[in-house]
Amino acid sequence: MLSFLLSLLLLLLPARAELRVVASVPTLAAIAQEVGGEQVKVTSLSMAAQDPHWVDARPNLALALSKADLLIIVGLDLEIGWLPALQTGSRNAAVQTGGRGYLDTSRFVNLLEIPTGKLDRSEGDVHPGGNPHFLHDPRSIAPVAYGIAARMGELDPANAAAYTARAQALAEQAAERIAAWEAQLACLRGARFVGYHKSWPYLADWLGLEIVEHVEPKPGIPPNPAHIAHVVEAMERHGVPAIIEMAYTTDATVDQISARTGAKVLRIPGGVHVERKETVLTHMEEIVALLLPLCTGSTP
Amino acid sequence: MLLLLGFFAGPVLAQDAPSRSAPQSLNPDIALIADVAAAWFSSDEPLQTGGHDPTVTGFNLQQLELSAKSVVDPYFDFNANIVFSLYGVEVEEVYATTRALPARTQLRVGQFLTRFGRLNNSHPHGWDFVDQPFVLGRVLGGEGNRGLGVEGSVLLPVPWFTELVVSETMAGGEATARSFYGPQDLGVDRPWDLQTTVALKQFFPLSSDHSLFWGLSWAAGPNASGRDNRSELYATDLFYKYRPISRSSAAWLSLQGELIHRRRQVPDDVLADWNAYEQLTWRFSQRWALAARHELGTAARLLDGSLAEEADTLDPEWDATRQRVSLNTTFWPTEFSRLRLQGASDLVGWREQPDWSVFLAFEFAVGAHGAHAF
Repeated sequence: MLSFLLSLLLLLLPARAELRVVASVPTLAAIAQEVGGEQVKVTSLSMAAQDPHWVDARPNLALALSKADLLIIVGLDLEIGWLPALQTGSRNAAVQTGGRGYLDTSRFVNLLEIPTGKLDRSEGDVHPGGNPHFLHDPRSIAPVAYGIAARMGELDPANAAAYTARAQALAEQAAERIAAWEAQLACLRGARFVGYHKSWPYLADWLGLEIVEHVEPKPGIPPNPAHIAHVVEAMERHGVPAIIEMAYTTDATVDQISARTGAKVLRIPGGVHVERKETVLTHMEEIVALLLPLCTGSTP
Repeated sequence: MLLLLGFFAGPVLAQDAPSRSAPQSLNPDIALIADVAAAWFSSDEPLQTGGHDPTVTGFNLQQLELSAKSVVDPYFDFNANIVFSLYGVEVEEVYATTRALPARTQLRVGQFLTRFGRLNNSHPHGWDFVDQPFVLGRVLGGEGNRGLGVEGSVLLPVPWFTELVVSETMAGGEATARSFYGPQDLGVDRPWDLQTTVALKQFFPLSSDHSLFWGLSWAAGPNASGRDNRSELYATDLFYKYRPISRSSAAWLSLQGELIHRRRQVPDDVLADWNAYEQLTWRFSQRWALAARHELGTAARLLDGSLAEEADTLDPEWDATRQRVSLNTTFWPTEFSRLRLQGASDLVGWREQPDWSVFLAFEFAVGAHGAHAF
């Protein structure tokens, strides 16, 4: 009788077909959506216009997290200023650090700028585990996609093959596009740039760029006049054609430096605009389109 | 597959690599946060109510807070906040929080700041002002309402964020349960000799850029004015924030307020008073903010409307409305240090002249990066 009642209860409960996935940043949300397809419902905790270091832990985000089967993060303390409060508030065991539904994607890539020696904040807002901005390198798309597919498959074994197939499809598309982008941007190999924040080592590694200076004297520290003068001098000495910054950067210093040096300002979108149905590859196309004019000498 | 791998000469799949978010360690995340202030008061006897407020003209150590947190096991998290002053140390909070209860429920057990209102369960480093609103010190105590006990909370099954919180805590402590037993802890003989706190907190994302947080709180417990005499607090709090996230911006604006109606049974009568504060904060750049606050506390009155005067054993001198207006500007060199210049005019109804104060407060922190609640 009891087993009959339980079976009846199970029949009455609505069937949940979708895996509920929450990503800390929209680029990971976009990759998760491509890997998961119709089998997943993906939410991003932040938008491309937001600096991922400074997201408000709005309680509605905890509500989304409370229902999640899988939380995907960048890691390397990028989200440390806001995500733990949401994890605790969600009351969802699966998405707690180390839980079966918690996935730190930094484990899938070879990291750059891992600090060595004594570490403290005299060097600014440092990330002890390495630079977290690896999603700017499109070569990270495939390993991250495979990692997400593997975890989705563990949580939803019935669709594991589909997740792996989509990850492979995305990886193949990415490989094809990467080859084309590298050919288009080959002229930039060895070119010198200035970055605003230390967001660009992976992009630089991919394209063979040399970032000669940063507008921030140290990570998270706004520039002072002496450092601005130093940056201007470095740009003139090296013939730097452009300053690269995240589009969500609000410091007008970059425009001042551009006016003094004639260098272009490349405002790179901080992530995939998932609200506009962008994909991670169309996002990378946009970045390439911003860089391409530097090869031809025209204004982006 | 081999062909694909050949393209990825940079970042490559490292499926079995351990998480590299932080160096591997079982030690708790520890932070130390120090607050010091230079203060000037026009009055020889400033009426600061907060336990961590500057209180003397000259230099003040508001507090040194040691915050420790970690995971106990798959079932519990550990949090502790230990506060050092020049003259001693106290355990402000130490509690375990469950990690894995079903149905979106959660328990806290230990010593904790209750979830009454909005500001009460926050710490000075999260405040927009140097000092605590005097209404909270008057009603809850200089250290904030806290106690040893247990708290249960649940996210209610409605489409918007709604949290119901219920706690039972010890009702004693001049600085921690002022309107209840306060300094005269008469002990626990019956379950209702504990302080009961119930709070309902709702969040409304008005849009990507606009947020509204609304709370209702109620607290009840024994007071020391006589056997079976009780105090009750009824409160509502509102927090509105405008922070553009649909376009890049470092600026945000917030408006916050709390209203508390307090009723205290005394022999043959009931004292009632109203207490409120509201504050506006404008962070106009990454490193700078301006803020303004108004606070008001009415005199306690008896059931017939007359002034309580000596019947209010907590504040017998409080026989008129007290209002205070504070203005400040804050500069953050980084998120780990903060400089704040604040001035206030305290219109104390039972004093002939307003009390003036000026603070220059400096906060500096080291250690683990804490997560900021909304």
